[in-house]
Amino acid sequence: MAEEKETKSIDQATIEMIEKADQDGVRMVFSRAETTKACPIGVEGSCCSNCAMGPCRVPLPKGKEETPEEKKKRAGVCGATAETITARNFLRKIAAGAAAHGDHGRRVAEAFLLAANGESPEFQIKDEQKLLQLALDLGIDIGDRSNNEIATDIGETLIKEFGKQKGELLFLKRAPLKRQEIWREQGVAPRGIDREVVEAMHRTHMGVDQDYQNLLHQGARTALADGWGGSMITTELQDILFGTPSPVFSQINLGVLKPDEVNVIIHGHEPQLAEMVAVVAQDPELVAYAKSKGAKGINLAGMCCTANEILMRHGIPVAGDFLQQELAIVTGAVEAMVVDVQCIMQGLADVASCFHTKIITTDPRAKMEGATHMEFNDRNATESAKVILRAAIDNFPNRSQNVRIPDNRTGLIAGFSHETINYLLGGMFRASYRPLNDNIINGRIRGVAGVVGCSNARVTHDDIHVTMVKELIKSDVLVLQTGCAAMACGKAGLLVPEAAKYAGEGLASVCEAVGIPPVLHLGACIDNSRILIAATAMVKDGGLGDDISDLPAAGAAPEWMSEKALTIGQYFVSSGVFTIFGVNWPTLGSKEVTDFLFKDMEKLYGGKWAFEPDPIQAAKLMIEHIDMKRKALGINKARERVLYDMEMRRELESV
Amino acid sequence: MDYKVEEKSAPGRNKVEVLGATFEAGKPEIGGEDGRWRQKLDTREEKLKYLQTGERYWYSKEWFGSEKRKNPA
Repeated sequence: MAEEKETKSIDQATIEMIEKADQDGVRMVFSRAETTKACPIGVEGSCCSNCAMGPCRVPLPKGKEETPEEKKKRAGVCGATAETITARNFLRKIAAGAAAHGDHGRRVAEAFLLAANGESPEFQIKDEQKLLQLALDLGIDIGDRSNNEIATDIGETLIKEFGKQKGELLFLKRAPLKRQEIWREQGVAPRGIDREVVEAMHRTHMGVDQDYQNLLHQGARTALADGWGGSMITTELQDILFGTPSPVFSQINLGVLKPDEVNVIIHGHEPQLAEMVAVVAQDPELVAYAKSKGAKGINLAGMCCTANEILMRHGIPVAGDFLQQELAIVTGAVEAMVVDVQCIMQGLADVASCFHTKIITTDPRAKMEGATHMEFNDRNATESAKVILRAAIDNFPNRSQNVRIPDNRTGLIAGFSHETINYLLGGMFRASYRPLNDNIINGRIRGVAGVVGCSNARVTHDDIHVTMVKELIKSDVLVLQTGCAAMACGKAGLLVPEAAKYAGEGLASVCEAVGIPPVLHLGACIDNSRILIAATAMVKDGGLGDDISDLPAAGAAPEWMSEKALTIGQYFVSSGVFTIFGVNWPTLGSKEVTDFLFKDMEKLYGGKWAFEPDPIQAAKLMIEHIDMKRKALGINKARERVLYDMEMRRELESV
Repeated sequence: MDYKVEEKSAPGRNKVEVLGATFEAGKPEIGGEDGRWRQKLDTREEKLKYLQTGERYWYSKEWFGSEKRKNPA
């Protein structure tokens, strides 16, 4: 039995809470994953339910080669082939992910405009430098204008990106010049964020686009509208409003909950509410109110990507990742779990019904049966946050004796935005990626890998992330992380400088010299756009080719589960990155579609997909790819170091 | 600052006194201010200047790199 439990997670706090849930008779994600088997047809993208003549199932025959006649018969009632069906399903998932990030971005842009116009006095421009940066990007006049005047122009310009009908998204100009040309050649430079999502939905409707390659190119365009559009806009506006992240020390895991305080968990993705709750939780009046109810104070902790947002900007501890949301309630010590959008399990309400925890929904787009809805209002943010916290405090006396908080919490450093990496490598006088590029060229750092994405109950929780990342850093690959992937490595102690002990000699020496961990936390899943900018800076700095596809770099989402992860993967591939996913792969129902994604895309976009559930094998594929890129750049062999004297230098300069 | 003096063995000599380490010991505080660097830039001019140097690939003409080679390939 114990062995079976251990296979569900490598994290001790998670294992302990799964045991408690079993004792308490609580059903949650890990037990549901055992009883609800994954649909074998859906998992490979071979089911079409886009019209009422279906659903049509067109699975690939198992255990035998398909004859051409059999393949011809493998079609939906309308005649849609397995290729069309699989590509349509893949594109719809990308559209859903782009819509999620885009809608997050739109809400942030709306809040940004309210702040700029003085209609939301609680939110102010916190990072003037980022504001000026965007003004330069967007060609907005700076002069002697006030920050709010500049911000209004920025907000109005960027909110139009969502509904833009023609031209190109403005942030595409940030990409390497060669990359921009590739997008134009392929006809996938996105016009507007919403337009690409709507067109993807139209083209996958019954009887529209029936060419799988054409569908997959729209997949690239829709995903790019996320990475270089919706996600990038979100990251930048959040930085202006709440501050560009810089390194901050904090703690992670369920052990950050406190037995004698009102524990409030903020869960979801959009940071406006969390930012305000973080401020209000320190209000002496509310702290006194908590004490009047018998608590020693208010303990705020984050969950999922909202956790990453308030971790990076305030150092607020992280209670856990996506798979730990129900487990936090199982501790019996959480007075309220405040949720907004994305990755909120409906099972929360059921788990909460076994304890005193209040589930508080705050966004009109995401309500939940069994939860209390307390809408968060940007225009009256402080009062909204206070009402929510009071509800949590009022619930403290209802806490039962059935409380067990695991004694597991790990230190971590987060907040390595592109700007901070640039600053740390070069300093204030000449911030630069040069030291990184030089150390890649001289071989101390073999390459760079982005290991991002979710956690997934179909695989051993955290194990795949941690195993892959350890293998990469052992091989001198610097790892950049976001989302729940970063949390897995945080819990495993990889996000601190001391983790250099797990790194190869070369990477460890660079980390020690710069004073950074070998695994860098760059933020929430929306912040994968930071990795795009970091990769662009590496290209532009020189010595590593002319395009992102030339870099000795690779990406992975080894425990992915959400559609957003696929969108992120597709925008990395379409930006020239070799990207490998684990768990399962949603196009295996069509060899042609899979071949296009795994092989042909590289010829067209410079990046390609791969699928490998084994983390060591996946890391090896990434390293193999990095080595291939090193060879192409001519930096795969150690060169004899020659110390030039003045005479030799003069000779060199006269050539 | 309190300097600590340590005795060390030196080759070919008797023990010598050297100044000890002066770094701050211990771990950073949770949510502490140690890593905050952007606040070092104060005025708008300083911030714009930093963008031109630090983020020169996008906001300055004075840089060399893959897209602006000193010696064109």
